[in-house]
Amino acid sequence: MALNKRERKNTELKVALAGNPNSGKTTMFNELTGSRQHVGNWPGVTVEKKTGRAFYQDYSLEVIDLPGTYSLGAYSEDEVVARDFLTAGDYDVVLNIINSANLDRNLYFTVQLLEMGVDLIAVLNMADEAEKKGIKIDKNKLSQLLGTPVVETVASRGRGIDNLLEQTVQNRDLSEASLKINYGSDIEDLISEVVEMLKQYDFSQQINQRWAAVKLIEHDPEAVKLLEREVGASKAKKIKSLIAERELKAEDDFDNVIIDKKYEFINKVIAESVQRPTADEEPENVSDKIDAVVTNKYLGIPIFMAVMWAIFKFTFTLGDPLIGYIETFFEIAGGWIGTQLLEIGVSPLISSFITDGIIGGVGSVLVFIPNIFLLFLAIGVLEDSGYMSRAAYVMDKVMSKLGLHGKSFIPMIVGFGCNVPGVMATRTLDSKRDRIISILINPLMSCSARLPVYVVFAGALFSSHASTVVFSLYLMGIVMAVIMAGIFNKILFKGERSHFVMELPPYRFPTLKGVIIHMWEKVGAFLKKAGTIIFSVVVLIWVLANLPLGVEYASAESFIGQFGQLVAPIFAPLGFGSWQAAASLVFGILAKEVVVGTLGVVYAAGEGGLRTALLANFTPLAAYSFLTMVLLYTPCIATLGAIKSETQSWKWTLITASYLFVLAWITAFVIYQGGMLLGIGV
Amino acid sequence: MPLAMLRQGETACIKEIVGGRTARGKLTDMGFVSGKTVKIHRSSGGPLIVGLGDNRIALGRGMAHKVIVDNKGCEN
Repeated sequence: MALNKRERKNTELKVALAGNPNSGKTTMFNELTGSRQHVGNWPGVTVEKKTGRAFYQDYSLEVIDLPGTYSLGAYSEDEVVARDFLTAGDYDVVLNIINSANLDRNLYFTVQLLEMGVDLIAVLNMADEAEKKGIKIDKNKLSQLLGTPVVETVASRGRGIDNLLEQTVQNRDLSEASLKINYGSDIEDLISEVVEMLKQYDFSQQINQRWAAVKLIEHDPEAVKLLEREVGASKAKKIKSLIAERELKAEDDFDNVIIDKKYEFINKVIAESVQRPTADEEPENVSDKIDAVVTNKYLGIPIFMAVMWAIFKFTFTLGDPLIGYIETFFEIAGGWIGTQLLEIGVSPLISSFITDGIIGGVGSVLVFIPNIFLLFLAIGVLEDSGYMSRAAYVMDKVMSKLGLHGKSFIPMIVGFGCNVPGVMATRTLDSKRDRIISILINPLMSCSARLPVYVVFAGALFSSHASTVVFSLYLMGIVMAVIMAGIFNKILFKGERSHFVMELPPYRFPTLKGVIIHMWEKVGAFLKKAGTIIFSVVVLIWVLANLPLGVEYASAESFIGQFGQLVAPIFAPLGFGSWQAAASLVFGILAKEVVVGTLGVVYAAGEGGLRTALLANFTPLAAYSFLTMVLLYTPCIATLGAIKSETQSWKWTLITASYLFVLAWITAFVIYQGGMLLGIGV
Repeated sequence: MPLAMLRQGETACIKEIVGGRTARGKLTDMGFVSGKTVKIHRSSGGPLIVGLGDNRIALGRGMAHKVIVDNKGCEN
């Protein structure tokens, strides 16, 4: 595919990682690029290509990690990302990461790439697992049969990486020859005829003609579309009807024959290059034993609930004391800086900007770094260990009642970290209907940005029951998601069912390096958000609290006060009609942490800090109603942006933004008014 | 017979994949091809868990009806 290569310096290479899911691709990417990654790797699923940089000798390699895919067939959006990148050909070498212990299925993808003429290095990863199973692979023989270099690695232990880099650099200009599989005389004759016909058209000079012919004979929708676009519908029809005519005469459908021949070729390659122990019956492995318990009909769901509870406890029990330290730090720092500024004669306005605005606003958000750190650590471990897909399997029972299947549950778990990757993770669902419903309910999964709001309120108003109150909000989010999915399933879509096939990878111990990279990225992203969006909004609010000139800081007469008063009546029936609460919710749409930031700024004037101010301004019932609102109402702009780009539709984006607001308002109303009638928490 | 009709613990040989283009494509991508041995690891109401060599795959009942197997097992 050298034709599309862009001009690059001799010492610069563009290298893509491609392969089956669970072949250790992301581990390899981390191993090659370390922390030099440009795009964040969200825990959960790789659904977008990521780039990083690796250095070897004098060479600088741009490394691209593609979403895992089983073939070039591309049945879901994440696979389309990988396929489009691979067919566009803007790279020097593809490192095809192969799970050595699982050669036959992995080679199916390798063979497809080689047929297309991709310059690739076959990377036999997880070589240690193959060894443990007694699988012996003759690398030289395999390389000869496939006609491409073969390298052995164990990415999780950093074994073979230097050799891989050496081979990558040396093989940057592989031969243009592509792999040819003999598809039998019927199909081979047809291939020649189709190639002859394609040769008439200019576009075919840019592609591998044999490969294009095979794809057309397989009725590959993308290939047919390309042909129609390039030569027009009527000329394309000539080729299509030739294929249809031959297929009618043949015994079997051509696409079946082509698949069978590919596997036949792979079986031959394996027979000649791989030695396996001849065990009659595979013994049950450790993963099977764990699965016997974890996926049990009766135990599955309780175990999953226990895991979620454990994650929750882990995040809070470990995080709380740390929060205390950071809080104390900001209090002392704020006080000290305030006095210093006054002593050196800085104007009270600037002093207020620094202590009330920046420390009161941004500081009140930064306090939550430990919780966010721990939460993402837990979600990362959940994914890397292999449990995530078991959770999806177990939850299929619940999800199928909603017209979804278990796989739709993975984006929901990812959403507990952040709704943006949660929405993106729906790409792995292949039916449009499943995707839309999953996107619509994803914001109901309580993300890490809402956590600071819960913790501040729960700490101030529900001291002894704080963790129960917060956990109840998480549960409320899940229950609402289930209810809404059921409703959307009934009113929006009917009939369409999708295919449920999902691999359950063997359980693995997460690698320390992978987990640390995950966490570092998350904390980095959080700090960046605090330094950009949250900082700007907090500054804006501080300014609005000081205008018009001469007004008392953060009073009802300030701009922010006037604005809050304008909006407040909407929230009055919910128990929090103060202008401060109203303003914090409106600005919270920019980023949910801003709810705390805003309250920090506008209440900073009071003595004793935010907690005391909340205690004075909210009853426990009103606080719970407020938290319900924060949980359920309109998602932040970043999530709305993700919804827009994933659905390609303003309609769905606006529906999500508005239905959630209505749902939040009604739920908070019922809770507050119901509580008032019963006299709870008033 | 369709794979969905096997009982837990049973082993069979894949004969053929039926159904629409997408369903067939997804199944063959995952390694469901004629001549391979499959084992039912779990069949308890919900989706099946089947073993295909060392791979474990969760398979919805609908999909499991598209995999036609012979419960006498594969030759050789």
